[in-house]
Amino acid sequence: MANSLFEKYGGFSTIHSIVIEFYNSVLDSDVVGPFFDGTDMESLIDHQTKFISFLLGGPVSYPEAKLKAAHSNLDIQAPHFDTIKALLGETLAAFDVEAADIDAVLEKIESYRSVIAA
Amino acid sequence: MAIASINEQLLRAVGVGIALFDGKTGNLQFCNDVFGEWFDDAGPGVSIQTLFPELDLAELKANIDAGGRHSGELSFRRNRRTLVLAQIVSQATVGYESVYVMECQNITRIRELESMLASYSKMVERNTREIQKEKDQVEELLLNILPRGAYEEYKSFGVISPKRYEDASVLVLDFVGFTKMAEQLAPANLVSELNELYTAFDQIGEQLGCERIKTNGDTYFCIAGLEDSDLDHRASIIKTASLYRQFLRKRNENSGVEWVCRIGLGSGAVIGSVVGVKKYVFDVFGPAVSDAVSANSAAGDFEIIATDAFATEGPHASQFAPSNPGMQVLIAD
Repeated sequence: MANSLFEKYGGFSTIHSIVIEFYNSVLDSDVVGPFFDGTDMESLIDHQTKFISFLLGGPVSYPEAKLKAAHSNLDIQAPHFDTIKALLGETLAAFDVEAADIDAVLEKIESYRSVIAA
Repeated sequence: MAIASINEQLLRAVGVGIALFDGKTGNLQFCNDVFGEWFDDAGPGVSIQTLFPELDLAELKANIDAGGRHSGELSFRRNRRTLVLAQIVSQATVGYESVYVMECQNITRIRELESMLASYSKMVERNTREIQKEKDQVEELLLNILPRGAYEEYKSFGVISPKRYEDASVLVLDFVGFTKMAEQLAPANLVSELNELYTAFDQIGEQLGCERIKTNGDTYFCIAGLEDSDLDHRASIIKTASLYRQFLRKRNENSGVEWVCRIGLGSGAVIGSVVGVKKYVFDVFGPAVSDAVSANSAAGDFEIIATDAFATEGPHASQFAPSNPGMQVLIAD
């Protein structure tokens, strides 16, 4: 069985830096940052850790129903979704993730567009 | 350069946030740049409690009076982030005035990493539980089709090598008139009946060290002596056969469907092996199995028949009486 990207890029010891960077990018973004104005740090970190791990094939399952429930009351529109996708791509590139792997991750997140965005 | 000026420059140069505030009013007198970066409105005259609403000044003063210092952790929101500061407050005297000196270390990243680690640990623990659950299900499934010894070998080496058992006992049971019953009963009823019967047989056998090897329609095969070399497998298989017969007779008294069994017993050498590559099954072959099949064919309604070799071997001969040529019938359970 092929290794997941999560394993390929060093497991949690590497992924945690990606999570922190992505967390900072999202909070600094004027487009998607406001979604997290009232979110406490533990919840947001928890969400980002699971989200990144899930996208990279880490040890977490994120059923569609759970993803939908987590985003259903946020009124996430296409520009928000696109911004998250772009920020994630930039973050992964900053950590020297190979272009083909970034494409694979972005394809995966794209496949959940209808689940996450309104 | 005046001492006061040097002191101020030192406070500004250090890497931690420093704030000096009046012990009576709680108003800031000074803060360095590191401290100032955390707040838009930090400066002389601003109340320390405006900056840290959660700070309990009375508790702070009590701690300092008692032990000379107060330490704690306070968090606040800035730019959508939760910043966490570890604080140590002590008392100093400037001229004749008493001031509190607050040293703050930004431990936000530490807390973020702790949260991430907690989240990841939970994720891994949940994942491990799910994997263990799946592993248990697979183990249960494999143990349904493999003796434990064969399963352990498969788990350790990934293969099951054929094994010869020098002495084991085999029981073969079938039902009289099964073909006719299969025509008369609804398929669901027939399967439900067989399921109930075979489950009961499995449970009885398990208590006595007998293990089901397979079923083939109305024929049920079980064996004793594969796993436990100390077991008197002949005694076990005789007792198991008797209990199967008792169970069926008892069940027939209160059931709409009447089952009549024939049981054959054999003993001797068997070879146990997995047969097949993908849809493989564990099976046994050898003289003991052939003997049990022959004895089963020779049995009448509710009879338990064993080969001569089985009946005369060991201390169980008195339980049998001669029957067909080469066969003996169980007369004492």
